[in-house]
Parts: sequence; C-alpha cells; structure tokens
Amino acid sequence: MSLSAALKSGDVTLLPGKRDEDWKWTDLRGLLRVLPAAAPTLDLAGLVDGPFDALCDERHVVAGGRPDVAIEVPAGGELSVALRILSRDGGALTGKIGIRVGANARLRLLESYEGDASAYVTDTAITIVLEAGAAVERVALAADGAEGVNVSQAQVTLAPGAEYGQTVITNGARRQRIETQVTHPGAGAKLRLDGLYLLEDKRHADLTTGVLHQDLDGATDQFTRGVVRDQARGIFQGRIVVEEGADRTEARMRHNALILSDKAEVDAKPELLIFADDVQCAHGNTIGALDEEALFYMRQRGLPETEARALLIEAFIGAVTDRIGFEPVRDIARAWAAERLRA
Amino acid sequence: MAAVKQTIEHVESLEKYQHGFSTDIAQDFAPKGLNADIVRFISAKKDEPEWMLAWRLDAFERWQAMDEPEWAKVHFPRIDYQDSYYYAAPSQKKGPASLDEVDPEILAVYEKLGIPLKEQAVLAGVEGAPRYAVDAVFDSVSVVTTFKKELAQVGVIFCSMSEAIREHPELVRNYLGSVVPVSDNYYACLNAAVFSDGSFVYVPPGVRCPMELSTYFRINAENSGQFERTLIIADKEAYVSYLEGCTAPMRDENQLHAAVVELVLMDDAEIKYSTVQNWYPGDPVTGKGGIYNFVTKRADCRGDRSKVSWTQVETGSAITWKYPSCILRGEGSVGEFYSIAITNGRQQADTGTKMIHLGANTRSRVISKGISAGKSSNTYRGLVSAHPKAKGARNFTQCDSLLIGKTCAAHTVPYIEARNGSCVFEHEATTTKLSEDQLFYAMQRGLSQEEAVQLLVNGFVKDVLQELPMEFAVEAQKLVAISLEGSVG
Repeated sequence: MSLSAALKSGDVTLLPGKRDEDWKWTDLRGLLRVLPAAAPTLDLAGLVDGPFDALCDERHVVAGGRPDVAIEVPAGGELSVALRILSRDGGALTGKIGIRVGANARLRLLESYEGDASAYVTDTAITIVLEAGAAVERVALAADGAEGVNVSQAQVTLAPGAEYGQTVITNGARRQRIETQVTHPGAGAKLRLDGLYLLEDKRHADLTTGVLHQDLDGATDQFTRGVVRDQARGIFQGRIVVEEGADRTEARMRHNALILSDKAEVDAKPELLIFADDVQCAHGNTIGALDEEALFYMRQRGLPETEARALLIEAFIGAVTDRIGFEPVRDIARAWAAERLRA
Repeated sequence: MAAVKQTIEHVESLEKYQHGFSTDIAQDFAPKGLNADIVRFISAKKDEPEWMLAWRLDAFERWQAMDEPEWAKVHFPRIDYQDSYYYAAPSQKKGPASLDEVDPEILAVYEKLGIPLKEQAVLAGVEGAPRYAVDAVFDSVSVVTTFKKELAQVGVIFCSMSEAIREHPELVRNYLGSVVPVSDNYYACLNAAVFSDGSFVYVPPGVRCPMELSTYFRINAENSGQFERTLIIADKEAYVSYLEGCTAPMRDENQLHAAVVELVLMDDAEIKYSTVQNWYPGDPVTGKGGIYNFVTKRADCRGDRSKVSWTQVETGSAITWKYPSCILRGEGSVGEFYSIAITNGRQQADTGTKMIHLGANTRSRVISKGISAGKSSNTYRGLVSAHPKAKGARNFTQCDSLLIGKTCAAHTVPYIEARNGSCVFEHEATTTKLSEDQLFYAMQRGLSQEEAVQLLVNGFVKDVLQELPMEFAVEAQKLVAISLEGSVG
C-alpha cells in the first residue's frame, strides 16, 4: 500500500486510505479515482532560482524526466546542497533521492517542493545515511499548489555520534504528507525533528514522523507547531519507539496547534512505544485558539486587534523557526512563513 | 505477636492470586458451542418475551458477519467460540425468595471474597458506616440482590437484568442498546446475542441514591464465558454511585468475559462508576490461563450539565481490552476518566477512554496511570474528539507510565481530533522508571526495597485512588501492592 506502488502499476487500489491505520487522516484512495500520466520531461532552461540556490555549492532538480538524484559527501567533507522537487503540468512524478554523508562530514540539505496550480501527483522517496560523527541539517520548504497531491517520505539512518536536525515548513496542498522515519542507534547520536504547518482555505498537510531507538544513550527532541484556518486540516503523527535494551534514552515530543476558524481541523497522534525501563520519554500536545488573555493584554496596551493577533501568531511559529541552526537559512524560513500568514 | 503473625500471613500470600479458588456447585449448563439454538436456549431459560429473543437473534446474525478486531496491541491465539459454554447457572428450582434459600455454598464463596450479602451483617456494623447494596452475579446469573426494598422506597430500581426485562420491560426496551448499539463492535455484538444477566439500575428524577450500589461478578464454572450486561439510567437531577468488582478461579484455560455497560444520563444527572477488576491474570511465568476481558463500556450524557465519572483499577485479566467512553451530548456535560492499570507477569492490557465532545461547553478530564512489570505490556489508547458544534469544549489528559524491570513495555497511543476553533485540548504523557533517588531515600529510611517500591507506586497512582469510594480505595491500594509483589529484585 503506497503511492509509489500505485503510480508504478497504475492500480488505484494500491493507494493507502482510511482503513490503513497510518493513513487514516490522509486518505488518498478516496481522493484519487484516476492516476495521472507521467509528467513530461522538464526543460531546465529559463528556470528561475529556487529559494536556497544562492546559499548552496550544489544544485539538484527532481522533475519530470529527471527523477533520480544521488548526493555523496566524502568523509570529513562539507557541503551545502539545494534540492528542488518541481511538480508541474498535472503529471505524475516518482522521485528517488539517495544521500550518503561520510564519517565526520557535514551536509546542509536545503530542500524545496515547488508545485504549480495543476492537479499533479508527486511521490518522493529520500534515503539519508549518516556515518559515524556526521552532521546533517535539513530544511524543507513545501510550497505545493492547492490542487496538488504530494507525498514525501524520508528514511534517515544515523550512526553512533551522528547528529541530524530537521525543520519542515509547509503550507499544505490538496493532500500532502511529509514523512520522516529515523533509525537511531543511540550511542550519543542526536536527533532534532521539527515541523511547522501554516494552512488556509481547504489545504491539508500531514507531518508524520517515526523514530526507532535501538540502543543505549539516544536523544531525540521533537517540536511541531501548526496554524490552521478556514477549512484547512492539519495532521501530526509522531511515533517514538524505544526498543528493549535502548536504555538511557531521552526523547521529547511536543506538538502545539492553533485553530483559528470553526471549520478548521487538527488531528494529532503522538505515540510512545517503550520496551526499555531506564528511559525518560514525554510528549505534550495542545490544540486550541489564541489565548484571549494575551490578546486582551496587548489590546489594552494599545495594539489593534488584528495586529495583536498577528504578533501572537508570529511568536507562536517563531519558536520553531528559531531552532534552525544556520542563520541565513533561518531568515529565509522566517520570511517564507511570514508571507504565508495573514492576520 | 499479632504483628508477627500478620507478617507471616502476608508473606505467605505473596505472589498468590487470592481469589483463585473454585467451588463445586451443582450447575446447569447450556450445551457447549454457539449457534442460534443456544441463543434461543438462553432466552427461554430466562423466560424472556418475544421481542428480547428477536433482538438477540438479530444480534447473533450480525455477529456472524463480523470480523474479530485485531488492532489492539495484544497477542493471543484465536479464540474458538465453539469451545465454550455460553450459559452456566447454579441449579435451583426457582429464584430464591430470600437469602436463606440461596445455596449456602455460593454464600460461602462470597463470604470468602469478603462481599457482604447479608443486609443485617452490614447493618450490624458501626453506626453511620457506609452501606452498599450488592447484586451478585455468579457465572451467568444474578444470585441475589440486596437492599432492594429499601431502595424501592425512594423509587430506585436495582435488580438483575433478567428481572428488569420481566418487571420493567418498557424501561429496558427503551434504553437497552441505545448507548452501545447491537453491532457496535465484535464483542459487544456477541454480548447482545448471548448475555445472560447483569444489573439494572434506574434512579428517578431528583433522587440521590441513598447508598452505593455494587455488582460483584464471579466466574466459577470451567470453560464458560461470562457475558453480562449492565444498564444504568440516571433521570433528571439523579445521582448514583456504582461499584463493580470481579474475580475468577485459577484455571489453565482462558475464559472469555465480554461485558457491555451502558449508562444513560438526563439533565443534571450524575453517575460515578468505579471498577476494581481483579480477574485471574494467568500464570505469571508461563502466561497460561487467565481471563480475556473484552469489555465495552459507554456513557451517554444526553442531558445538559450531566456528569459521568469512570474510575477503574485494572490489576487482573490475562488480556484487557477496554475503553470506557463518554459521549458528551448535553450542553455543559462533563466526562471524567481515572484509571490505574497494572500489568505484571505476562499480562497484556490495552485500555483507555474515548471522550467524544458533541455539545457546547462540554468538559472532560483523563488521568491514566499505567504500571508495567515483569514481561507484561501496558498500552494506553485514547480518543478525544470535538465535533464542529462542540464550541468551547475542553479536555485535559494526563497519562503517565511507570516501568519496573527490563522486559516490560509501556505504550501511549492517544488520538486527538479537534474540529472547531474554540476547543482547548491539552495532553501530556510521560514514561519513566522508578526514580533511583527516591528509592534510595525510602530505603535509607529503613524500608525494604519492596516496601519502598510500594510506597512510590502508591504515590504515583494517588491521583486516581482518591477518586475511588472509600471502601474501594483501601482494597485497591492493597491490590496495587499485591499485583506488584515479586516485581523487583
């Protein structure tokens, strides 16, 4: 049951749907009656720059006719890569991206999903392998079209001492799922998984993560926030598994969502599955409206209500973007998010 | 020397399931297996009216078309539904007119379990001591219900389900299956087809039930399943507190307990439903035997400002599959769920609650404490949802898990669905082991390791224990200690 299998065979019954537990809130089977033909080969001539192109040493494009990308950072190396996934012309795209980061190497992976207004279907599979002591910071901006369907699934494997930080920022699509699965060996490896969804109209975004702690001394820090309005629907599914023997694991998961209209919806499933006893694991989840008392305070200080709301929301999402390590990227992410907010 | 003797007795009782005895009592069985004739047999045994039989047969037909659910985090071999007795009742010619006519063997069982069936025995207690009325269900039938007369004086109906079907058919017909529909789920549907007895409570408008009501379930017969159905209706401004206890003998085969509990609340009504579940958990080493506890419990807050509170202490059963739920329909209605689930040995528990907010300004609170030890697995699974019309809905959920030992597992699987802009949902969960520092402190003060663990665990579950009625709280506290015996060191 996967989108890629369905796209490959053209069989819509292979699409994941409501009856698949992990996809119950992101129903593709009920949505897609027919699958589009493969997207035509994209002509790169005249393509305008992506959001991160100026910051990077290497640029890669995944699009119709050019679905595969391989990125390798040699041991001890350092690299900044802009990775653009371009969905166009109502076509189907199955992208495959393989990334290997050698021992003690550093990679800054700056990803952007750029879709046009057509009813495209895009499926991207990303594998990222970090060798011992490697460090990766991945920032993904997902700017899909309102009619697009986009599924991105990343499989991250950490080695001892590796460090992986991720921030996904999205404004949704007709149906969108951005999934990250991490295999965590413990042994001093560090993981940060952040997400932010800013949704309006009838957009849908699903941020799903899974972390498998396999051995001693692992650390995971996860922080997702979302703002939904109109008839939008935001979904957060987080799963942390601590296997038997993975003692001294420290895992934290936070999800906070703001619902700004009566027809918007937020669904959350923060799961902890623990098979070891010497662990510190916690998750917190809140869903609600803006704090009336904070609003009142600001208005009483002379701020107009719309401005007060905007300020509160900005602060709310700022908590996530502030955790991006590299400052120029942080600024781009902040500006990107601010553009997609209206008070 | 009394203290020494007590200690010796206490030590001897360690790691033992104290209610594991079985009693040899002449019993009537239905033939083994399950088919439409068995359903008819049960209905005929109960002298049920035609509509009841039709209801059962309809349920049986639907059940045959259903699949057993497999989503819970529990593992067990497939149940052979044909290899069990669906009806077992102590033989007697007619229902006993008074306690004196009840088989003394059965009375002895309850005495051994510490359940007061003799009204005078309770009355003879300390003046002002709380009294509670008991409906004792032995395998498939209710053997006795106490304090019926006194309760009738204030208009409260408290009797067995079969009696209610005979005496108050209009109430039963009106409400039975209205909260948990016949085909709600696999086990509820099976229950609808073959349920044999259970308790029925109706509290009329404005009445505060003068004493605690309780049902005590006992499975005694071998190879039999227990399927009881409880229906409690609290009319406008009524209040009732209801307790439920259960035990079973130690047997090598697994026995099925698939109950359905329905609560109906009108305007301003309140029901407090407490359960201390102590079914036989199976052999702690091999995992052999034990009760499969597959129960559907649901409260429907139909009236405005109604309030329902579920409190459960789950220590027994080989497998627990149970999600007491609240449908908060009435405006301003309140749902509460307090739970302690303890698993040890090879027990598996998948339990939690559902808070479904449909009305405006509805509130709910979930406090769940899970403790796993040995090779057990303990899952909290819960749903909190707010409908678009549930303006101003509020929920607070806290689920904490405590792990004792290297081979146990604790899981938290909450589902949160918010469908309007004015609801406020908060959820927090933690999973940790016992604090080494606290253990060290307690032991350095002279407590043994086992006592120190008990002390810390009791502290961990205190939030829930204090929600239990007093008599149950004491029993529950002891139960917590016994369930964890042998889990450290």
